[in-house]
Amino acid sequence: MKSKVLTLRIKRFQKEKDPPQWIETFHVEPKKGMNLLEALLRIQDEQDGTLSFRYSCRGAVCGSCAMRVNGKLVLACRTHVEDLMDKPTFIEPLPYFPVIRDLIVDMSIFFDHYQKIEPYLHGKPVSHHLEYTMKEDERKEIDPYIQCILCGICFGACPAFIRDSQFLGPAMLAKAYRFFADSRDCRVKEILDGLDDQKGVWGCNTVFQCVKVCPKEVPPTHAIVKVRGKILRHRLTSLISRFWSLSHRVG
Amino acid sequence: MELISHDILVIGGGLAGLRAAIEAKKAGRDVAILSKVHPLRSHSVAAQGGVNAPLGNVPAHVKDSWENHAFDTIKGSDYLADQDAVEILCQESIDRVIEMEHWGTLFSRMEDGKIAQRPFGGSGFPRTCYAADRTGHNLLHVLYEQVTGLRIPVYEEWYALSLIVDEGRCIGIFGFHFFEGKIIPIHAKAVLLATGGYGRIYLRSTNAVINTGSGCYLAYQAGVPLEDMEFVQFHPTSLYGTNILITEAARGEGGYLFNAKGERFMERYAPNLLELGPRDIVARGIQTEIDQGYGFEGGYVYLDLRHLGKEKIMDRLPGIRQIAIDFAGVDPILEPIPVQPAQHYSMGGIATNLDGETSLPGLFAAGECACVSVHGANRLGGNSLLETLVFGVRAGRKATQKAEKEKQSFDKGIFQKRWEEFQSDLEEVFERKEEEPCFRLRDEMRALMTSQAGIFRKESDLRTAKERVKELKERLKKVGIKQKSLAFNHELVKFLELEGMLQLAEVIVEGAFGRKESRGSHFRLDYPDRDDKHWLRHTLAFKTVDGPRLEYKDVTITKFPPGKRTY
Repeated sequence: MKSKVLTLRIKRFQKEKDPPQWIETFHVEPKKGMNLLEALLRIQDEQDGTLSFRYSCRGAVCGSCAMRVNGKLVLACRTHVEDLMDKPTFIEPLPYFPVIRDLIVDMSIFFDHYQKIEPYLHGKPVSHHLEYTMKEDERKEIDPYIQCILCGICFGACPAFIRDSQFLGPAMLAKAYRFFADSRDCRVKEILDGLDDQKGVWGCNTVFQCVKVCPKEVPPTHAIVKVRGKILRHRLTSLISRFWSLSHRVG
Repeated sequence: MELISHDILVIGGGLAGLRAAIEAKKAGRDVAILSKVHPLRSHSVAAQGGVNAPLGNVPAHVKDSWENHAFDTIKGSDYLADQDAVEILCQESIDRVIEMEHWGTLFSRMEDGKIAQRPFGGSGFPRTCYAADRTGHNLLHVLYEQVTGLRIPVYEEWYALSLIVDEGRCIGIFGFHFFEGKIIPIHAKAVLLATGGYGRIYLRSTNAVINTGSGCYLAYQAGVPLEDMEFVQFHPTSLYGTNILITEAARGEGGYLFNAKGERFMERYAPNLLELGPRDIVARGIQTEIDQGYGFEGGYVYLDLRHLGKEKIMDRLPGIRQIAIDFAGVDPILEPIPVQPAQHYSMGGIATNLDGETSLPGLFAAGECACVSVHGANRLGGNSLLETLVFGVRAGRKATQKAEKEKQSFDKGIFQKRWEEFQSDLEEVFERKEEEPCFRLRDEMRALMTSQAGIFRKESDLRTAKERVKELKERLKKVGIKQKSLAFNHELVKFLELEGMLQLAEVIVEGAFGRKESRGSHFRLDYPDRDDKHWLRHTLAFKTVDGPRLEYKDVTITKFPPGKRTY
């Protein structure tokens, strides 16, 4: 039976407290159409001013409020309170990242990886006054990967990090593919070489966890598989050309 | 006392702030950005519809030009915009948009591969360049990529609490390192405010929760006038319930507005442009329908996209389809979207010249927090993103030039002295007993502003609003803070932000009370006509102990004499 009051059990962490970690239960009167972020803001206003979490747009575009709710990785603003009324809801910080305080995690490793792929267009020469031309088909190929809001949810879901914390991760591989597929970018070989190891595309387990959890429907695994294909084709071409030149010399 | 120093310090990591910082960095200066959220969480990310530039990419009989763009902008502003500023906005638009494309923005495309352009409200040409309906997201990510490439340092999750002024010059700020709980003075030869809007003063706003107008307050506090603050844009179409923005592009692509009687009521308000009238007129149209009882229960009308078809919606408006599904349980392919007007944008802001300079030497401003003024009494859709880029560059460039002339050394003693004063002011706040919680005052302010200083205004309402804001300011003195340590002190931040928002609310109300005419977004039921003879001038609000003191200054007219504004 649905309860009339929303019950949230929140995993807390405040390093100056003893013990620093505990689980605290809050009750919130739900309003029609209320989302989880609004409920958390109500708690922060009215019940416990020390409850810490990130927020900004409340419209699922800024990527601030990623967290784990009843075991699922979600954006709080996109989670309807109406769907949480059956039983107490357990809220934890986004996994994988070190916890700073309550639901705030340290995303520096995420943005370190971001920096590693040199995530900015290395443009081919072009007139200052004219745009590059691009066909809609090409834009549509890149578009799904552009939707990424860098919320970090895919890092929380990706099993490959267990093996290697230096694995670039789903969001970054999707981003790298976005530049690879963009005809305005002069890097082709550089991007493929940069991703051709266990830290890159070969570190992925291809279990599609990132695709399943992404709140913006970005498909990182598809990008990874595409890049693998390109790398293999490159290897094959260079092998064939080496074979040719060798057989010519022998001949 | 720790002390940080940079040549240029940019406050705010949205489009204007990032673009200004890039300009300063490319000129070889030591620039840093300070932002209360990670730059990618800034509200610019939520902009949907597009950015204007008269590229003329859509085939037409006549080619679009910067003059056409300027005329539309000035007419849209109800002739309050400064025309020299608008000329710059429009003349520099193409360079800025092309530059963003060269940096990797994934604009939607025409058949021939050029940047696609769509019609927007109040414009005579399809002039709005777009990346589906996620243009802000695209632009912000691209600028952040540039910032990453240029290795511009960012003080993330720091607040700017106050400007430091010495001998009539801004010499830095007090930064609040929220996670460490430290208040650290930052010296800068130039401080550039790019903190965005103050939407959260209103109950219904499309703005992010973080939009509290802090930069406007910092400048106002330091004696810099705020300009035209009574001009508050209400977006016609925010999603009923959450007030999340439903882009004007939905109407640009051909969406209809219907009332509960099934009428396309815009015929009555903008007989020629209909749904594509400028925002002030469409917002008033919708609100009038609702007020007259022709809205749906709860106070909304329908935005109908169904006739556009699945393919067009999926291609051009995928973002708002997702928003409507996620936040209202409505799929626009199958059902109309329930919408109502909500506060959206501030035409007013920190008074600046054409290069982002304020009246306080060393202090600059750009973007929504500034008032150049290019939007006058009503902003056209697609011009705000453009303003962030054009005036972000100009302010960044001017700040760089000015910083170059400043001497390298500075007196650390002043910072020590100011820091001690600041700490003791804070202690006073901490010593108060809490007689009332902060949020209650905030919620009262929001309800008050939406009901008494909203789309339709009149003297009696505004007088009530003036009294109530004063009363709220008094009550704020009795608000205490339970948590005594600085680190992660959300209560303290909310208190300081409310203090600032109440000051801004007072300026908005005072300006609206004073302006006895209707112009653009400022509609007075008791003075329903525009009155150029008395009111073709800007409002300037200066802070005094008794509240804002108003002055007025002339509008700059170059080649577009004020005319009738019909659509």
